[in-house]
Amino acid sequence: MTRRYLRVRIFSSEPVTGEQFLGTLTASLQRYFGEVGLSDVNPRMIRFDTQTSEAIVACQKGREDQLQAALALINHVGRVEVAPLTVRISGTIKGLRRRSR
Amino acid sequence: MRKYVDLHVIPRIEDEDSWRHTAQLLGIAGYSAVALTVPTGLMDDRLRSLRRSFADAGLEVFLRADFACSGRHDLLKLLRRFRRLFDIISVKCLNHAVALVAARDRRVDVIFFDLPQRNAWFDHSIANVCRAAFEFNLRPLIEDASLLSIAMRQVRIAEEHKVNIVMSSGCTSPAFVRAPAQLSAVGSMLGLDRHRVRETVSLIPWSILEKNVERMSNEHVEDGVRVRRKRSSND
Repeated sequence: MTRRYLRVRIFSSEPVTGEQFLGTLTASLQRYFGEVGLSDVNPRMIRFDTQTSEAIVACQKGREDQLQAALALINHVGRVEVAPLTVRISGTIKGLRRRSR
Repeated sequence: MRKYVDLHVIPRIEDEDSWRHTAQLLGIAGYSAVALTVPTGLMDDRLRSLRRSFADAGLEVFLRADFACSGRHDLLKLLRRFRRLFDIISVKCLNHAVALVAARDRRVDVIFFDLPQRNAWFDHSIANVCRAAFEFNLRPLIEDASLLSIAMRQVRIAEEHKVNIVMSSGCTSPAFVRAPAQLSAVGSMLGLDRHRVRETVSLIPWSILEKNVERMSNEHVEDGVRVRRKRSSND
């Protein structure tokens, strides 16, 4: 099962946890693409760094556009205003570390 | 390398922290250039510090004016007065009559509609005569997901008539900044052609900026006509 990995930086006024973020992302996918879309994308949180507010999220290959659209339409995690920015997409986790901005 | 442009950034002039942070995020998101919507009568020193903040984040800065008129006479008056002072002229179409004039007038670069306000929308009659690019802002879609169906309908019409589409963030604060790939992902969700969707955040806005920079140069006379000065012997 081929997957794609996205490095996402979350800019927020208050810190958010990985569980909160994944919950919001799943809800966003479900809202815009439905249950079938959610299972097609099959998002997985690989890593979440609370210090840097950076997440590595995996999805099915070919579904990264849907994941990115769902991320773009997130504005709040709980009551905290957030701006999730996709910094890099790669086919391997190692590839995400390369060319870091 | 592809250059990404956010053609619609609306900095809150009174809130310096907000626009400094917005500039940083746009730099991190990977943009090369931004068009800042500023009030037509903004003081020079404010404008300079605004430009400097965005330039410090590694962004090329262009100025944009958004006109929201209720009648065609007001719009034409504003176009006569401000066309040469701004890099980008856009019209927020409040009604169908203004939308038709704006879409036809070649001094207008971009038209957009206020999606929540439903007394004007992009239809076939406008698409048919549209010379300007049609802009989608992400901010209203983030704020109200029920607008997606309207946006999808408008995208379909624009694609049918081969109108140039630009995807912009329309951000007023750092919370609405999104990466170019995210904007194009929303574009493909709205039904834009997969192969063209990247161009809506890169080639199309960039070509508008380039065309206007050329238009504002001293050498420009009209489209396709330029003054070529002879080099003096000292050069």
